[in-house]
Amino acid sequence: MAVGQRALEAAGFARPGRLGRVRQWCEQEHVFGYGLILPALLLIVCLVAYPFGMAIYFSLSDYWVGSPGEFIGLENFRQIFRNEVFHRTVYNSFVFTSIAVVLKAVLGVWLAMLLFRTFRFKRLIRGAVLLPWVIPTALSTLAWWWMFDSLYSVVNWTGIRLGLIEAPGPNWLGMTSYAMAAVIAVNVWRGLPFFAIIVLAGLVSIPREYYEAAEVDGAGSWARFRHVTLPLLKPVLAVVILFSTIFTFADFNIVQVLTRGGPVNSTHLFATLAYQTGLVGGNLGQGAAISLFLFPMLAAVVFLQLRYIRRE
Amino acid sequence: MASTSRRDFLRAAAGAAAGVALAKAPAYAQKRELTFLSWNHFVPASDEELRRQAEVFGKQAGVTVRVDTIAHLQLPAKWAAEAQSRSGHDIVHITGAAPWLYEKSLLDVSDFIDEMGKKYGGWYPFSQESAYTDAGWRGIPWFWISFPATYNEAHFRKAGLKTPKTWDELLRHGTILKKQGNPVGIPISHCADANTTFWSVLWSYGGKVVEADGKTPAINADQTAQVIEWYKELYRDAMEPEVLSWDDASNNRFILSGKGSWIHNPISPYNAAIARKMPIADDINHHTSPAGPGGTHSAPPIQTLGIWNFSKHADLAKEFLRFHFSKENFDQWIMASNAFNHPPLRDLADHPIWAKNPKFAMLPGEAEFAHPRGWPAKPNAAVSLIDVNYILPDMVAKAIAGMPTKRAMTWAEDQVKLAVQGKLETKGKS
Repeated sequence: MAVGQRALEAAGFARPGRLGRVRQWCEQEHVFGYGLILPALLLIVCLVAYPFGMAIYFSLSDYWVGSPGEFIGLENFRQIFRNEVFHRTVYNSFVFTSIAVVLKAVLGVWLAMLLFRTFRFKRLIRGAVLLPWVIPTALSTLAWWWMFDSLYSVVNWTGIRLGLIEAPGPNWLGMTSYAMAAVIAVNVWRGLPFFAIIVLAGLVSIPREYYEAAEVDGAGSWARFRHVTLPLLKPVLAVVILFSTIFTFADFNIVQVLTRGGPVNSTHLFATLAYQTGLVGGNLGQGAAISLFLFPMLAAVVFLQLRYIRRE
Repeated sequence: MASTSRRDFLRAAAGAAAGVALAKAPAYAQKRELTFLSWNHFVPASDEELRRQAEVFGKQAGVTVRVDTIAHLQLPAKWAAEAQSRSGHDIVHITGAAPWLYEKSLLDVSDFIDEMGKKYGGWYPFSQESAYTDAGWRGIPWFWISFPATYNEAHFRKAGLKTPKTWDELLRHGTILKKQGNPVGIPISHCADANTTFWSVLWSYGGKVVEADGKTPAINADQTAQVIEWYKELYRDAMEPEVLSWDDASNNRFILSGKGSWIHNPISPYNAAIARKMPIADDINHHTSPAGPGGTHSAPPIQTLGIWNFSKHADLAKEFLRFHFSKENFDQWIMASNAFNHPPLRDLADHPIWAKNPKFAMLPGEAEFAHPRGWPAKPNAAVSLIDVNYILPDMVAKAIAGMPTKRAMTWAEDQVKLAVQGKLETKGKS
């Protein structure tokens, strides 16, 4: 830069005016680069880092809505650990996340394979598959809630008509295991398109030659899937599973709309319990402490998966 | 330390804002402005009527009265912010433990309470339980919402039964009605109605959740065991398993579908049936909430008004409330709410909207045995935590799912202990 300046001056150009100097200063790489990052950084600081810091502060204090609390150390965490409802929530979260993610991964790959074939109205159907992912969750879950309604359940009505279940059918949202099944089903329904579309993109990028070579070697469709498709999909799958695990673990809408954590807390997840305790109940300190439990668990998931991806 | 600096900051900010406002003030003298903060009423016409009264009063008194309404879940945060910055609205709609929590920020309204009490035949007993702190009256009970029994007359007639006077009778009637194909319904789930009915039944059996001090758990007792046994029998013999998944609207649908014979709920199903011209409206009627060995008790939602003691227009605020609590205006306001807003004063309850309709006639009287949640304790944050965590219906649901009653009560006692420990404010601050 400095050399350029001297060269310009030597060539008879006058030193630039004040505006020009500002511009020159801005155009330096270290200034301009940070300038470009600044807006994003501000957003992250204001909307992510600050709330996160506040959450940590709240979790260590006796903070109720409308009543700033004193620092009480780890007391909130101690209380949570003693609470049976929290134990149940931890258990629920793992059951919910593991079953939902496995189902989404298996069904997602399957759906992607189907969509990969050539058939009529391919584009239309590929677009339509995305619908559950596009509709606002709260809205679509309301429809599901109505389908599981104790009095007017469409699910039961259909099942009974088809002779699949005996009248009056299960009380979907009133029995612990059925309620969990219902919540998982809706989550899978909603998350499936995300899996399918990204896996589909992965499938498209696999060169045809591998399949041709495998066929020449006498591989059947299962062998081609196991030895060609799956290994080449692995990196894509790992990323999707990573994202999906985070989304599923932190789910809130589906449970809040369908069961509000009931029956008897058997479907509470971290987010719904934190909402109930902190915002509805007013105990912000404990609510923050509950929601912070998401952090170490998700951090562990991210760490393991990223390490796996890098090794690949 | 932190709170002082924050308060100073807010004060300075408010001052700066006022300075800016003053600088921009037009040449003519500014009118005095009285401000009123309330929730977005479930019956919007009620807010419209309040605004109309504000306008009429404003014209008479030569002031402006502004009514601001916000979502009801946001109210607690707003009270906190206003009390902390000692600025904001003059009159605020408060609920639950607020008169205790903001005891030191709320104006003593004993004079207003005395005046209105003398004028309208006295306040109902729940008024004192929900707004009278150790320091005196810190709130003016505004309205409450009755929680009677709603039943289907046709089903009762078919079974040859009269309406149940006691919870025990409800169990016996319900057993017969279920056999007839018309079960009764009380939610045992994560919803507000499940809490309301449980408090009502527990009190009727002489039980309580916490002692009068508001801190000592009292739920692990024989009375609670009796209530749980009653619930178990009612669930088995008179209800369907669907009550375990109900939300606040499920029992409305249950009775409107024609299947249900009896629910414990505000009058909304009947109003909905009338509004939608459903034939079932003719069959739906109401009766007084059932009694138990400990008398009749009910836990309806109670709404209160407070005047901040930092309000610069305290006298004007009382003047406006006097105007609002005049027989004519309060009657209008009840009409606008379609009988949703029940008055806390005996003579105001003598309103044609109830007197004319025999299905409504008993509603205002339910106030005689209403209490705020937590009673005999004063309302406090722990009580609302017990409610929002659905500890009481969950205790019943656990027993129904097969947990021994004693163990279910111990579980609930542990949960109540968690709710009452820590910084539980029963005294005023700020």
